[in-house]
Amino acid sequence: MTVELEHIFKVYPNSKREDLIPMLQAIQDEQGYLTEEVIHEVGKYLDISVNKIYGVATFYDNFRFGPVGRYHFRLCHGTACHVAGASTLQKELQKLLKINAGETDKNGLFSLEVVSCIGACGLAPLIEVNEEYYTNITLESLKALVDKIREKENDVL
Amino acid sequence: MECKIEVNHKTLKVQEGESLLSALRQHGFKIPTMCHMNRFSPTGACRLCVVEVEGKSDLITSCSFPVEAGMKVQTNSQRVIKARKSLVELLLSDHPDDCLYCQRNGHCELQWLAAEMNVKERKYFAGKQKDNPDYSSTSVARDPAKCVLCSRCVRICEEVQRVTAIDFISRGTRTKVNSAFHKGLNVSSCIHCGQCIQVCPTAALTDISHLEKVNAALGNKKKQVMFVISPAAIVSVTELIQSKSKNKVRARLTAALKRLGASKVFDSGTAADIHVMEEARQLAELIRSKDKKDLPLISSCCPSWIRYAEGFKPQLTQHIAKVKSPGHIAGSLIKLNYAREHDVAMEDIYTVSVTPCVAKKYEASWEENTHKGVSEVDAVLTVRELFLLLRSFGLNLEQIEEEEMDAPYNHSSAAAIKLGYSGGKAESVAQELFNIMGGSKKEAFRFMQPKSITSKRETKVKIGKTQVGFAWVSSIAEAEDYLNELGESKRDDIHYIEVMACLGGCAGGGGQPISRGFEQPKARKKISVEMEKKAAWQKASGNTMAADLFERFSFRQNEIWEDPF
Repeated sequence: MTVELEHIFKVYPNSKREDLIPMLQAIQDEQGYLTEEVIHEVGKYLDISVNKIYGVATFYDNFRFGPVGRYHFRLCHGTACHVAGASTLQKELQKLLKINAGETDKNGLFSLEVVSCIGACGLAPLIEVNEEYYTNITLESLKALVDKIREKENDVL
Repeated sequence: MECKIEVNHKTLKVQEGESLLSALRQHGFKIPTMCHMNRFSPTGACRLCVVEVEGKSDLITSCSFPVEAGMKVQTNSQRVIKARKSLVELLLSDHPDDCLYCQRNGHCELQWLAAEMNVKERKYFAGKQKDNPDYSSTSVARDPAKCVLCSRCVRICEEVQRVTAIDFISRGTRTKVNSAFHKGLNVSSCIHCGQCIQVCPTAALTDISHLEKVNAALGNKKKQVMFVISPAAIVSVTELIQSKSKNKVRARLTAALKRLGASKVFDSGTAADIHVMEEARQLAELIRSKDKKDLPLISSCCPSWIRYAEGFKPQLTQHIAKVKSPGHIAGSLIKLNYAREHDVAMEDIYTVSVTPCVAKKYEASWEENTHKGVSEVDAVLTVRELFLLLRSFGLNLEQIEEEEMDAPYNHSSAAAIKLGYSGGKAESVAQELFNIMGGSKKEAFRFMQPKSITSKRETKVKIGKTQVGFAWVSSIAEAEDYLNELGESKRDDIHYIEVMACLGGCAGGGGQPISRGFEQPKARKKISVEMEKKAAWQKASGNTMAADLFERFSFRQNEIWEDPF
């Protein structure tokens, strides 16, 4: 096994079917996304078909199958944010980042994920970037945010 | 407990607690369904079985609703009919309009439903589905555009075969039936049994057709096309023949294939007899061996089972008999023995195997079944394809003269015919073992056949002083449960296990004509038993041709090619 999963398996010693989702979450938290190899190993450990696990993992938007960018945008699309214009923001953000929701750009700088309610409806619409929250977003502030990141990254480069 | 309910203002006596759908169907009410499968738990996914129940504001799905005493049901009220029609229209909203070019044209449940509901136009447009078809497998083709997400294939693959090669991927409107990581079936856990094809209501799952290959070979003057018909295929053809004279099907099928341009038509029964003799010989060897560690011997004729064992239970493979399957014994006999005896180049022979099996298409691609790049079996036609072939040539089996099959492989014993259904092969092998181990002459050979074709059974046969245990299971779920049970209980009284991957054995094979429900294997077994009575010999070694070939050559897996004829 090239991926080290033993320490995660240890948390679930009974290898039950219901351990699947928590295990996948733990793995994703640690490694950023799920790989084929990981799914095969989990399948072996829990004695569940690889296809079944893939079916479960694709059912939930939270599971990813590719790496995220250095700046991972999570756009809230809960009810309050939707009413506050999250759809327009999403379109704008896709244009600014040049990727679609669920994608990571080629140089690994940006990735965009659309999530359901983050839990700060009073501050809608909002975006989380690398666990920092940007609230009451407008089209202008969104552009400013992305520009700022690009500028910073260009400096580094 | 029996109770009364009112259906369409008529009072009916039904069993309390059973599903409303089965109660209604038993009383002759026609309720359309799509996702429903007998013997499976209901899912209520397609909602076509909706009925109106007094006191309930919503329509309810009768498949997943238990009968309650005194309930008042409407099966064909305006509201019900309208709802069903809308449901079919929604199913059609993203379905391609290519019925004319579709393999299932005329045999499609969606087409039937649309006709039943008087759907005359496309009412909803959901756009085309973008998933590409998957032709990567050697045996099963998938076309997601035609999938209606009824889940029948997913359930049979998971619950009956325990393989889960395909499952629902994603969610909501993006849901698709697909193999893991959107990769092809060729790299999935698929065991090629074709049960998914059997249950698919549309053409989302079909077999990889060899019809064009066969047609091309028939048109190629250099090639001698030789058909090898398995007894199980003859049984399924017999079943579909309408006229009363069912006994000449072999001869009529031979005549039809000759008219297509076949140079020879053989019966794979000879090969099946050889297969049985070799398995019995290996079984006798194991029983006489000192350590007996490789007992029980597990049958090797089912390619799906072998694929399952190799992929899922590699520890069992040492128990599997090392014999080629009958189809490939036949193929190698023709390509080597027959070719040499008749001075024909191996490359000029094109062998076409006709079976009720989809997995044989996969088996033909195994490396051990090819020789210098030439497969022993060039093409495999399922019974469905056989009918398509005959139809395209305008041949009708009902009205055709009779012709004898070609020597030398033109006979099969009753033992060979028995390979077509669950339990039959165990009996054939038992009989041959009885023959080899020389049970005392006073004792007659007795073998108790199971009463139900789908049930798992065991029996003991007294051979000399030994009690030999035989068992048979059909479907992977049964096989897995039985083998686990046997392993856990550490029993050593079972010496031979016949495993067939399809329910009821080849009689329920993935390449059989599409039929709904699981009743067909029973009918086919009955025809088999009739055929056995007319066979010239009962036991495999009775077939003189087979016995002679068995004496002369080795038929262990991997050996036949090294042993020059």
